[in-house]
Amino acid sequence: MQFELGITRNGVSDAKNLMARAASNHTSPREFLRQHSEMVDGLVRMAFRKAQSQDPSPSVCLMAVGGYGRAELAPHSDIDLLLLCSSSKKEHLPPLVEKILYPLWDLGLDVSCSSRSINECMQMAQSDLFVKTSLIDGRYLDGEYELFRNLYGLFMRRVLHRKVKNFVEALASDLYLRGQKHQDPAYTLEPNIKEGQGGLRDFQIGRWVIRANYKTDRWESILFPDHSRMLDKSLEFLWAVRNQLHLLSGRRQDDLSFELQEKIAPILGLGPGAQGVEEMMRQYHLSTQRISNFAQNIISRGLHEPSLLRRTFHFLQRRKIDDHFGIADGEIHLLDPVAFKRDPARLMTLFEYSQTYRAEMDFRTEEAVMEALPFIDDYFRNSEKVNQAFLSILRNGSTVNTLLMKMHELGFLSRYIPEFSDVEGKVHYDLYHVHPVDIHSIRAVEELVKLKEGLYQKEYPLLTSLITEIEKPENLFLAVLLHDIGKGMEGDHSLTGAGMVKRIGDRMGLSAEDNELIGFLVSHHLLMVETALRRDLHDEQVILRFANEVKNLNRLKMLCLLTFADVKAVGPEAWTSWKNTLIMELFLKASHVFEKGAVARTFLKAEEMLETLERSLSPEIFLAYSEHLPDRYLSCYSSGEIAHHIEMARSVEKELLLMNWEIEKETQAKVTICTKDRYGLFSKITGSMFLSRLNILEAQIHTWGNGIVLDTFWVEDATKNIERRLVQFRKDLGEILAGKVSLRDLLCKRKESNGIKQKVIPRVPGEVKINNQDSDFYTIVEVMGEDRLGILYEVSQALTDHGCNIHFARISTLGNRIVDVFYVQDEWGEKIEEMNRTDQLKRTVFSRLTPRESSPA
Amino acid sequence: MKKIEAIIKPFKLDEVKNALTKIGAQGMTVTEVKGFGRQKGHTEVYRGAEYKIDFLPKVKIELITSEEMLTQVIETIERAAKTGKIGDGKIFISPVEEVIRIRTGERGRDAI
Repeated sequence: MQFELGITRNGVSDAKNLMARAASNHTSPREFLRQHSEMVDGLVRMAFRKAQSQDPSPSVCLMAVGGYGRAELAPHSDIDLLLLCSSSKKEHLPPLVEKILYPLWDLGLDVSCSSRSINECMQMAQSDLFVKTSLIDGRYLDGEYELFRNLYGLFMRRVLHRKVKNFVEALASDLYLRGQKHQDPAYTLEPNIKEGQGGLRDFQIGRWVIRANYKTDRWESILFPDHSRMLDKSLEFLWAVRNQLHLLSGRRQDDLSFELQEKIAPILGLGPGAQGVEEMMRQYHLSTQRISNFAQNIISRGLHEPSLLRRTFHFLQRRKIDDHFGIADGEIHLLDPVAFKRDPARLMTLFEYSQTYRAEMDFRTEEAVMEALPFIDDYFRNSEKVNQAFLSILRNGSTVNTLLMKMHELGFLSRYIPEFSDVEGKVHYDLYHVHPVDIHSIRAVEELVKLKEGLYQKEYPLLTSLITEIEKPENLFLAVLLHDIGKGMEGDHSLTGAGMVKRIGDRMGLSAEDNELIGFLVSHHLLMVETALRRDLHDEQVILRFANEVKNLNRLKMLCLLTFADVKAVGPEAWTSWKNTLIMELFLKASHVFEKGAVARTFLKAEEMLETLERSLSPEIFLAYSEHLPDRYLSCYSSGEIAHHIEMARSVEKELLLMNWEIEKETQAKVTICTKDRYGLFSKITGSMFLSRLNILEAQIHTWGNGIVLDTFWVEDATKNIERRLVQFRKDLGEILAGKVSLRDLLCKRKESNGIKQKVIPRVPGEVKINNQDSDFYTIVEVMGEDRLGILYEVSQALTDHGCNIHFARISTLGNRIVDVFYVQDEWGEKIEEMNRTDQLKRTVFSRLTPRESSPA
Repeated sequence: MKKIEAIIKPFKLDEVKNALTKIGAQGMTVTEVKGFGRQKGHTEVYRGAEYKIDFLPKVKIELITSEEMLTQVIETIERAAKTGKIGDGKIFISPVEEVIRIRTGERGRDAI
């Protein structure tokens, strides 16, 4: 049996491999398909003749149908045969079929064969789309040719060329349904080369429609030469990939899995590794896009080719827009065939009309656009009229995504913005990004349009309100369209992209201000996601730095919308409510920073200071400390002082407490204290000062991000004993912090000797304000009252008693009046917001403003 | 064998993951979750409109570990995830009856 057809199973696969190697080296992949089909033809014919010679049955005809009928046989494609007989008497057929099939199966070929009479074929073809399409591609192999001719004559007349519209509709629905199914991200990343969007099946559909509609098998004859050449190249590429898919997996494998992508790219000469895969997938997406456009275009022609009656009706119905364009039946038509040639700027006008009248263009007009693409040159790209029209389309905003997609499909967009062609079909080689860059960018625009139309009102009310507040939406749309434009180049795509966008903006004649804004959005398009997901949003410093980078509220709003559009367009699951919550939190906190406005000056000072420090400090020290220094701290001191503080902070690991002072005018001193933060620290310091009868005039309390506390106090002692008192203070505080003595004990012990008891009738009314509006992070406690020795200790002790951690404080004395501001958080690091807690806090602090009878303890 | 589930702050994920990899944890499952505990949600105001945040975004990591590794894994998560502020999260530990690696059919410790 093995040698029945004069070749062995191995012989067949060797022959196949030989052809395959030739195909991947020097002949085209299509040549392989042809050669392979021819080889199979020979084997099938031989099997048929052998079977006939054993058991002759005169009136039969053997046909190849489906892909094999087209002589397009990939290495492991199914081989479909049809055994045709004249009458319905086909008892003798099954044994014949077996005799044909067995030797072929023995050779490892995937052959199947059905046997039908002409009548049966006709009946089935009328009711079954699959049978119908497989018959279109039928090809005579052997047996009685007359049968084949009869069948085809009937098939063409009675089936294919009748009810053409129904046929096209059936194909259109097949295309649509498969399109829906394969839109799923899984299919986009690992596409099916046959069934997927723009795959080989889509091409066949286009070809069948042409066959039915125009009665020709030369599909290229109804397209522009450029168009058909491109399409042919796309097809060729898909065949090359599919051949390799089959050969590598050794079976009919049409899913382009990640694993096989990696293997195939080098074979196709696209280089190894991720780069090769990305390039291959780029070509894949470009090819399938072209094929998809072709199929859509042909189907829409098939469906809309109007009858003479309708054409007349439309002619009467049609409305002129201007001398060159008219509108009829909801479609824009080109009236003047040479309109684009005379003035290419009319191409943009056409898109503008399409937006204004909310009408798509008919397919003839689309073809005219494609034909006019060569007129798009530098003159066109720099033309004010063209660019203004484009910007006005963006500004208008309605259906922008559909228009951009159409521009893209027709090849217009990448002629008008040549930089865009570098990202066409460009894939991100990861599991996250589903769409190639060009499609991703246009989908991002679509998300904005949806926001603008209010489709997300329920899910994302805040974003919906933001998009209505944007001034000059064209800037936002342009930034969204171009945000990934740097992906076609080397290096950091955000920065490269920003550079490219600047050139594009210049060309489009944008103002310097608008251009700068778009450049910022492109270069920072990942900032918001990175900050929201990877930084502590409960850290004020994080929010301030972020706000500082964004600079103003308008830019923040745009960045937020761009972030949404970008992430949402990545894939249906990418913008989770989880991400939404984090990004909205960042937006709200940053917006509060801008609304308060005052922080702007602090930013500037802090930024300058950091630059100065970077120059004056050694790199490793700068690196170790700069990120911990709060802006508020940086704007309060000179670079010399900060350097000195860092010096102190470096020793604080070894020593518990570092302190130094400068005495001025014998009665006053500036005291700098550095230690590690702990609960109630501030009241311990002020308490110890009180013990030594040091009157606090002013103070700056800062906590660094790494838990180092740096406090500066201006203190006074009217008795000119300040040096002695400071020494005592240092000793007391050191012992308290080391836990050797408690502040409470010391206060009790010394109250008599110090003569602390004082009775002063307040001449300044006390006031305590608790403010939760001005900061997202701290409760601000403002205290005013009459100054007296130890008052700061009492107030800070009251705060500590209520569980407040003092993060930052500014203490000042104006005459006999104190004005103190404390930024506090509770022990959990949160603001104190509950009404009963704030009320109680207010009452306690207020009660401490007037001295009590007994000593404070 | 024990299963460890830890709810942590989102921005701590990288730190926790790196710390766990460093001590030789073989793998983990990460989920974006929302919820509330002692740290409650809050209401944000933007231009007079209130936006309520009922559930706070957190990250849940799950991993299976042997008894010997347990203490070390827990300490590592605790250290890496801690900010000292409210909402740092929780770690849950529960016994695991059996682990099976689907591909090879390995069971028990070999399958971790």
